[in-house]
Amino acid sequence: MGEVKGKKIESGLKYTENHEWVKVEGDTATCGISDYAQNSLGDIVFMEYTDDIEGEKVAKGDVIAVVESSKAASDVYSPVSGEVLEVNSDVEDSPETINSDPYGNGWLLKIKLSAPEELEKLISAEDYEKLINSGE
Amino acid sequence: MGIKTPLYDEHVKAGGRIVEFGGYDMPVQYSSAIEEHKAVRNNAGLFDVSHMGEFSVKGKDSKVFLSGLIPTSLSKLEKNKGMYSCLCKEDGGIIDDIFIFMIAENDYFLVVNAGTKDKDFSWLNNHLTGDVVLEDLTDETAKIDIQGPESEKIIKKIFESAFVSSLERFYFDYTTYNGKKIMISNTGYTGEAGYELYIDKSEAVSLWNTLLEKGKGEGLIPCGLASRDSLRLEACYSLYGHELTEEINPVEAGLSWLVSSDADYIGCRSVRGMKEKGSDRRIYCVSMVGKGIPREGCKVEKNGNEIGYLTSGGFSPVFSKGIALGMLKKGIVKTGDSVDIVIRNKKVEAEIVKRPFYSFNG
Repeated sequence: MGEVKGKKIESGLKYTENHEWVKVEGDTATCGISDYAQNSLGDIVFMEYTDDIEGEKVAKGDVIAVVESSKAASDVYSPVSGEVLEVNSDVEDSPETINSDPYGNGWLLKIKLSAPEELEKLISAEDYEKLINSGE
Repeated sequence: MGIKTPLYDEHVKAGGRIVEFGGYDMPVQYSSAIEEHKAVRNNAGLFDVSHMGEFSVKGKDSKVFLSGLIPTSLSKLEKNKGMYSCLCKEDGGIIDDIFIFMIAENDYFLVVNAGTKDKDFSWLNNHLTGDVVLEDLTDETAKIDIQGPESEKIIKKIFESAFVSSLERFYFDYTTYNGKKIMISNTGYTGEAGYELYIDKSEAVSLWNTLLEKGKGEGLIPCGLASRDSLRLEACYSLYGHELTEEINPVEAGLSWLVSSDADYIGCRSVRGMKEKGSDRRIYCVSMVGKGIPREGCKVEKNGNEIGYLTSGGFSPVFSKGIALGMLKKGIVKTGDSVDIVIRNKKVEAEIVKRPFYSFNG
């Protein structure tokens, strides 16, 4: 998959048009923002989760966090519906991890899927690559 | 699509991310705004600020003409020296902040903001008196700023060392580059030592690339508007549209120090009056204690009462936390006091600190 700076796409993941990624293992989804998203945002200097989100139920499209780059604040949306099992407190302390490792240590949320059929509406890695290249 | 500076293609080639600013397509950053900021603080950075406006004011009544428009005494200028000032309306509101260079008696070079250039030109043009020729040189002029502790060493590789050394802070002079006249001033907008270079647009690309090439060993990199903004914020320099607007008097903006003219300039009653009597509000420096990035427009509260709003805010790469400038009611807070910044409906603790966050390093 693409290795161009800001366009790295991890195969095997699902993506959204809002540039979030989803990795599914059993009934659990790990989510984050794509390399394209972090590169577009620029240096991320602050991130905070929506209050008391851990253990809560979220719907697809709910705001789950705010990330702030040196320029502006941006909302991050939940790509799927379900119960929030875990948030990544490390990225709250070191938000730059989202820039350096968006698909790894920069993950944002683990969710227990309540509507697995939503996964079918997500975008494949191949189609996501087409999407970000068409946006150039 | 905005207007392109002569260096637009160079920015795109270098991977600059382009945004519209003041009607121009400008690079906001190349790789990382924080790296660019640190390059200027530690080594050197190069900025294309050709979007800024340049006017020539000449003719035997030029001094009288300008004296009627600015709150700063022109007696502070001498040949080859520049100074900061502003244009005010009758009620003291700021039309723009400007830099005035004195080339000779009754011969001045004005540098103004891009977004206010047309408004400024009309204002000057509508107030012309006597023998004054006002000319807009913006389109033919490229402006390149080199800023940071290594700046002097780098430009000495291109221009005569004695010439560069002769330029003291706020002074300027002319020399040549590729046979074209170039003006170099020892000035800047970053809080670091550095120079601002004005040259005919035909030589802009050559000068830009030569500077980058000669400065490579010193760590010179191209820098975008994002780092320019975070640098000026750390240094507490005002930005038009933020700390300075048509609704803000220079005294409120913390620019009392430039109110020195005894002339009968436009706005003199309100500006002088406010300097004497004091203002009800002024710009304060605010540093975050709690986590969060303060942004323009955030409300500022003290003990639950709103006392003002932020005019600029952001992340400081030097201090690794949020910093901001705020227009606050006077007499309520002093240095060291705790205030709350309302960020996304949440109160986050901050502290009033001494101005500036970052003292001029040069």
